[in-house]
Order: sequence, then C-alpha cells, then structure tokens
Amino acid sequence: MYTCKDSINLLLEYLEGEMSPDEAKHLQEHLSGCSPCEEFLATYRATPGLCKRALAARMPKEVSSKLTEFLRAKIKSAS
Amino acid sequence: MSDEVATEDDRQLLARAQDGDMSAFEALVEAHQDKVYGLALRMTRSEADAAEITQDTFLSAYQHLKDFRGDAAFGSWVHRIAANHALMRLRHRRVAQAAEAELQGPEFTPRGTLADYPVTDWSRDAEEKALDAELGQAIRQAADRLPEGYREVFLLKDVDGLSYEQIAEVTGDSIPAIKSRLHRARLALREAIDTFYNRDNRGP
Repeated sequence: MYTCKDSINLLLEYLEGEMSPDEAKHLQEHLSGCSPCEEFLATYRATPGLCKRALAARMPKEVSSKLTEFLRAKIKSAS
Repeated sequence: MSDEVATEDDRQLLARAQDGDMSAFEALVEAHQDKVYGLALRMTRSEADAAEITQDTFLSAYQHLKDFRGDAAFGSWVHRIAANHALMRLRHRRVAQAAEAELQGPEFTPRGTLADYPVTDWSRDAEEKALDAELGQAIRQAADRLPEGYREVFLLKDVDGLSYEQIAEVTGDSIPAIKSRLHRARLALREAIDTFYNRDNRGP
C-alpha cells in the first residue's frame, strides 16, 4: 500500500498518464481512501493555472513600438 | 497549450511572410510579441533584457523564416527561440542561487503520512475568481525563491507551455531531470498558495 509520500511523489506521472497500470492502481487505491491526498491532488492540479495567471505579463506599448522600429531598420538594412 | 496548434491565420501569414511580405511578418510579430516578451521578462526578471530578447527573437525568426517548415506552430517555434535567448543571457549572469534544500514541499510524518494537509480546498477558487492581488504577489514571490534550474523549467513548461522535448533541447537537461524539477517546483508553489489560503487557520 502506498503512503501519502509515495503518492505525492508520483502525482506528475499520474496526471500525465505515464504510470504502469499497477502503479496507477496502487495510487488510486491510496487516493480513494485518503481525503488529505485527494485534496492535495486537487490543489496540486490547480497550481500551474493559478501561477500562470499570477505571472501573466503584457508588453508595454513603447517597447512594442521600439520592436517594430528595430525590425524594420534591421530588415531594411539587410535587404 | 494553445501554441502547439498552428492557427489558420498564422499559417497564411507565415506563407506570405516567407514570400517576402513584410506586413505579414509584422502581423505575426504583433500576434506573438506579448507571449515572447512575457517569457523573457519572467525568465530574466529584467524589462531591458526582455525587450532586447524580444527583438533578437523576432530578428532570428525573420532570418530563419525560409527554413521554417509550416508543420509546427509559428508561436511554438518563436517561443523556443526566445527561451534559448533568455537562457543564454541567464547563463552569462549567474546570480546567487537558492539552495535546493530551501525548496519547500509538503511535510510528512515518519510513517509517510501527510502532516499538514489543505484545511481549505482552494482548487475550485482557482478556476472561477479573478486572481486576488495578494495571492498574485505571494505566487510571484514564491516563484522568485525557486532555485534557478527549477524556476526555469517551471516557467517554460507551466507558464509558457513549451513541451518537455523543447525544454530538453534548450536547457540540455534530460526529460526525467526536467520532470523531477517541475514536480518539486510545483510542490513548492502549491505550498506557498496553500499557506496563503490557510494563513488564518494555522499557527505560525
């Protein structure tokens, strides 16, 4: 029987469907009988999406204008 | 991730740009510049570096436009170029590294049972609510505290949507090593978010 620690170590493989059927079965057995791990899995799964939102960035307008100028100058001088 | 699939617009613009239509190339730049800039800014944490990396990335893309085969997505291709440029810059300025031992993760009892588990299950909040400003701040700080190799992998995979193969190509690391770091980084970030949600429920 897997412990919480074993299960949590395997969450990435589990979510990516890369475990052997045996391992997946052991993990599912643990998860179905362990609500802390079930909740842990839910929050682990939600983490990348939250981080992506927190780290979103947009290019400032002046940087965008400079980029256009830069590319036009470089490409013109090369052609 | 959205960048894995080439959009019809991108395909048409790319074909025109490859035939020398500058306005089509500029339209491609405009469509992808925010993502490229975001990647560079997150990786380098410097607005000046991010602006330069974005310029270098699109210039490289233009110079290699003719070699680019339309079977991959243009967005995915420029993301890989940007990741390469950002990593090269980071390798040149090695900063003081957080030690791996400082990576936070869940705590277990000696029998391998979770010692401290989510008092608040915040996973549903994650999908619905506008992101709380303080939570956003806590996440950015936690990402900043990750040791560099872990931060890079996490940003490239979970935020910028590169594939494991692309990350292996730009970092030179093996896919199992990348996955192991990604997992540790996610655990540390999950811990930081959990601490934020449960800050009133737990003692110091």
